[in-house]
Amino acid sequence: MAEHEKRTMTLNLTAREMAVLEELAAKKDLNKTGVMRLALRLLQAVDAKLQMGQKLMFEDEKTKEKSEMVLL
Amino acid sequence: MEESRIYLRNSASGELVEASLLDEVTDRHLELWNESWQPAMQAHVAAHGLKARPEDHHWNWNWKAGEWRPMLGYHSFAIICEGELQGLMMVSDLKSALLPAQFGKPIVFVEYLATAPWNRPEIQLPPRYRGVGTVMVAAAVDLSWELGYRGRIGLHSLPRAEAFYRNSCQMTALGKDAAHQGLMYFEMTEKHAEEFRFNH
Repeated sequence: MAEHEKRTMTLNLTAREMAVLEELAAKKDLNKTGVMRLALRLLQAVDAKLQMGQKLMFEDEKTKEKSEMVLL
Repeated sequence: MEESRIYLRNSASGELVEASLLDEVTDRHLELWNESWQPAMQAHVAAHGLKARPEDHHWNWNWKAGEWRPMLGYHSFAIICEGELQGLMMVSDLKSALLPAQFGKPIVFVEYLATAPWNRPEIQLPPRYRGVGTVMVAAAVDLSWELGYRGRIGLHSLPRAEAFYRNSCQMTALGKDAAHQGLMYFEMTEKHAEEFRFNH
């Protein structure tokens, strides 16, 4: 079906960005495409929440200290 | 939207019945939920009192579908058999595993999974069809494979469904999660996902 068809694009990354991508791929047990697709889905989900007026917070499990992540 | 042929078991006859698994909840599915599923839930509560309320009686699938359908990280599934809605599921693919053996690796997380009221023995005896939950868990495992997550899935279980996830799905219970209404948290490992798909 059309919506399941894949489109191809070329992605130019710096050496440092590529190193991070490879590191994340190993850590997450995904290939590099999988990491980029996950990043896209995550960014869309976070952006939707921010558009709704919600905040992205991180909480330290031990101290319960919370910090807000400000995204563009 | 893709449609797969699956089979449910007719409880009365014991025979397998052909059904469809759809990888997107459509407006038509929501109409069926409004027209038959939701009234059946309400009728059960009216007849048996508030104590007999199904654990998922407050789940509003119109709202869930409306909020999540545009999101790439969320996926919805519906099962249709003989023209009627038999099950609904919403999953996300943005969460990470907690089980030490797969900690931090992405999982498909089952946000909501429900079978139609007429398929539940506590509402209708005998239930109309069996196998909806198993088909849905298999769909979550398949999606996990498709995304490169190797079959890993996770979920918070409502109390009455714990035995199903523990025994039928062979998922690992990691304890009750205080951050999610004290619900039991389960995960399926790559190994158990393979076994589950082999057996179902």
